[in-house]
Amino acid sequence: MSEFDSAGALSKSPPKSLAAFLAAGEERARLWRPEELGAIFRHQMSAPVLMDLGGFDPATAARLKTLSHAQSLLLTSFLDLFLHPVPPVELLTLTKDFAKGNMDHPDASLPNEVAAVLYYVSIAAAYVRLDQRISQLGDAEFQRGLEWSKGKPWVEARLQRLLDEALQKLARHPTPRPLPRAEDKKP
Amino acid sequence: MSLDSSASSIFPRTDWAELGAAATADAARLDRLIRLYWTPLRIFLVASFPSLKDQADVLLQEFAEDKILKTGWLQRADRQRGQFRDFLKISLRNFVLDRLSRTEARRPPVSLEELEADLPGPEETAEAFDLTWVRTVLAETLRRMEADCKDPSAEQPRRSRIWEMFRIRLLEPLLHDAPQVPYEQLIATFGLKSPTDASNMLLSAKRIFKAHLTRVIKEYAGQDAATAEEIRALEEFVTRLARKIG
Repeated sequence: MSEFDSAGALSKSPPKSLAAFLAAGEERARLWRPEELGAIFRHQMSAPVLMDLGGFDPATAARLKTLSHAQSLLLTSFLDLFLHPVPPVELLTLTKDFAKGNMDHPDASLPNEVAAVLYYVSIAAAYVRLDQRISQLGDAEFQRGLEWSKGKPWVEARLQRLLDEALQKLARHPTPRPLPRAEDKKP
Repeated sequence: MSLDSSASSIFPRTDWAELGAAATADAARLDRLIRLYWTPLRIFLVASFPSLKDQADVLLQEFAEDKILKTGWLQRADRQRGQFRDFLKISLRNFVLDRLSRTEARRPPVSLEELEADLPGPEETAEAFDLTWVRTVLAETLRRMEADCKDPSAEQPRRSRIWEMFRIRLLEPLLHDAPQVPYEQLIATFGLKSPTDASNMLLSAKRIFKAHLTRVIKEYAGQDAATAEEIRALEEFVTRLARKIG
């Protein structure tokens, strides 16, 4: 037996509500409100790494489990991964790929802003803790992404510091521009 | 609905045994549709002919019986898929006018001029019909979605929680002006392990809703293209009406 009196509730609904209702099935419609991004990001940070990254192919999932075991990361969170002094680069790469897969995707399960911050924080953690660049981003683009992420008020303080460290390191050690090839030189 | 039991049909006087298999199938379909959309049809009838308010149910029943017993009506309606609502309205209006003309020929209790003197504008009448139609479609969609999600024989045990999520997150705020349940509360209520978990549950709810909405509309609009067109038409109608009303 139905517990929700839909006919009764709908009989008084104004056209505006009905229009919103008919559009409720649209997957492209935003799932979460902008003011919820902070809560969603906090939830993401506290989520077990294996929970979200376990969706990759079986071989990757098995490798992920081994890595997590080896680093005592099993059942720990994304925040633990980012704050780990020597995080496994493969885990950071998988996290970056997971975030990228959620950016600007109509069926994404993460809000775009949250996915983007996750993406830049993964790259920043590899850069700061492991001295590795795990993306193809150029310095300028990387810097813009770090600054944009740092500007999000819902990014917690320890991650803000990580982003800061990445920015400082990038300023100190910019990637040398490739030397122009001989044929590019003007006579 | 079973046609074996005339008591459960809107056509209690019909002798189903006399109808052929094809006609019975057509009758079953129209019986179901007219029962489902009885309210908008009644509203349209009363809005078009206010003086016939007391006879509305009898007239509607006669309209349904008359149309079913006339072979070819549904086929004509089928050719106009996507405009089934308009076809139904025009047919009902013509049916009532025809009845009135015949009555008038026998005895003139109320003239057609008199009957139509207090009619609301055709646009208002059509709007009242379409608005009630949208409400009926949505109510039926929700009824089926809830039953589907709460079906104990369903293989997915999460489905009843999906309905709850849909109800709390979308239904209540839209229909009862209830405040949206904060994200943190959703996590606690449903034991969601990550935002992906939360989003997937809400996306599943939306997909189930869309599937039922499409099915409800397809039952009268027909093919996929006509169904998609009808969904667009209903959306445009309520959006336009919302702007008009303010």
